[in-house]
Amino acid sequence: MAAQGSLGTWDARRIVRNMFPLLLVLCTVVLWAGITLEEAGALLEEYGVLAVMVPTMVGAGGNLGTILSSRLSTRLHLGTTKFDPYDRVLWANVAAVLALSFTVFSALAIGAWLIGLLTGSSLGLGILLAISLTSGLSLAVIAVVFSFITTYGSYRLGIDPDDTTIPIVTNLVDVFGMLIFIGVSTLLLG
Amino acid sequence: MDFREELWSIYREALPILLVALLGGLFSGLVLEELLESVERFPGLLVMVPVFLATRGNVYGALGGRIASGLHQGLIPPAFAWNDRLVNAAVASFVNAIAISAVIGVISWVALQLLGWPSAALYELVGIMLIAGSLTSVVLVFGLLAVLFAGYNAGYDPDNLVGPIVTTLGDVFGMLFLFVAVFIVEVVFV
Repeated sequence: MAAQGSLGTWDARRIVRNMFPLLLVLCTVVLWAGITLEEAGALLEEYGVLAVMVPTMVGAGGNLGTILSSRLSTRLHLGTTKFDPYDRVLWANVAAVLALSFTVFSALAIGAWLIGLLTGSSLGLGILLAISLTSGLSLAVIAVVFSFITTYGSYRLGIDPDDTTIPIVTNLVDVFGMLIFIGVSTLLLG
Repeated sequence: MDFREELWSIYREALPILLVALLGGLFSGLVLEELLESVERFPGLLVMVPVFLATRGNVYGALGGRIASGLHQGLIPPAFAWNDRLVNAAVASFVNAIAISAVIGVISWVALQLLGWPSAALYELVGIMLIAGSLTSVVLVFGLLAVLFAGYNAGYDPDNLVGPIVTTLGDVFGMLFLFVAVFIVEVVFV
């Protein structure tokens, strides 16, 4: 069994000291999403099925950003990409993320609609698809842009993108997911 | 590989995981809809929801990434054994998760005061977060380790498992325990 002194980066106090400041910053950023949700409380009470969509709206954008960022980071590490706009594989990655978001956000609308049928929601499949796809596809574009900026930025600054991109992209996309979803819902239902 | 082949290979690889995350998200959305009824009793509850869910990803995503690297490097065993590194990593996650939960209660309350919006008492919001954060941390630390060890022993790359496990378990158990915490605080502080 290793002595405490040899734990290095696995020492619990060191992990907490390194991570806690970052957690505090991220909390304050995502607080913005919370305030948006609180403000939309009345809308959610009127259309409960919107509340059903909230966690996925917030989470799925981050998942898509994570998929793209970790693929970009790996390609940077392997030296197979240089952010050349003529790089076809780069565009294939972006197209895949958009295709995935189209599928996931269509499925989200259908899932929410089915739940709404059981809970007696007044919103039809058409409007749910409109809300989900408008917010979801805008969010996917934002996730793509942030993934590129943070991966490329940390690469240029000499920081391993694996350590930076995922927390930055997921938390920023969380906030935008909430703002866009509430904004689009208010616009289409209000 | 040409554009279309690359696109569909990424799509096929990522879709199943995203759909599992969608199921977790819809379940957590249903719980959120139920939680709306408690918003009148605890104004400000909705501010904490996105921050609480996002922090799950930040704390346990970091733990998962660390465990995945540790498994690859042979630094930790793929089983629940008394290993100094494993224990330190787990303890750090408990400390980070529970401490940041209390902070979320405080900053949400402060934000509500600054905005001049109605809010539950500080001890109620912090109490809800502490109970929800503690319960979630137990299930997520042990659940994440169990799934990562099982996946690793079955030949899966733990790096690919971390993101989706954390999002899905975090969404489902985070919301479930938030609901339980609201119920407990409601009963204790009538």
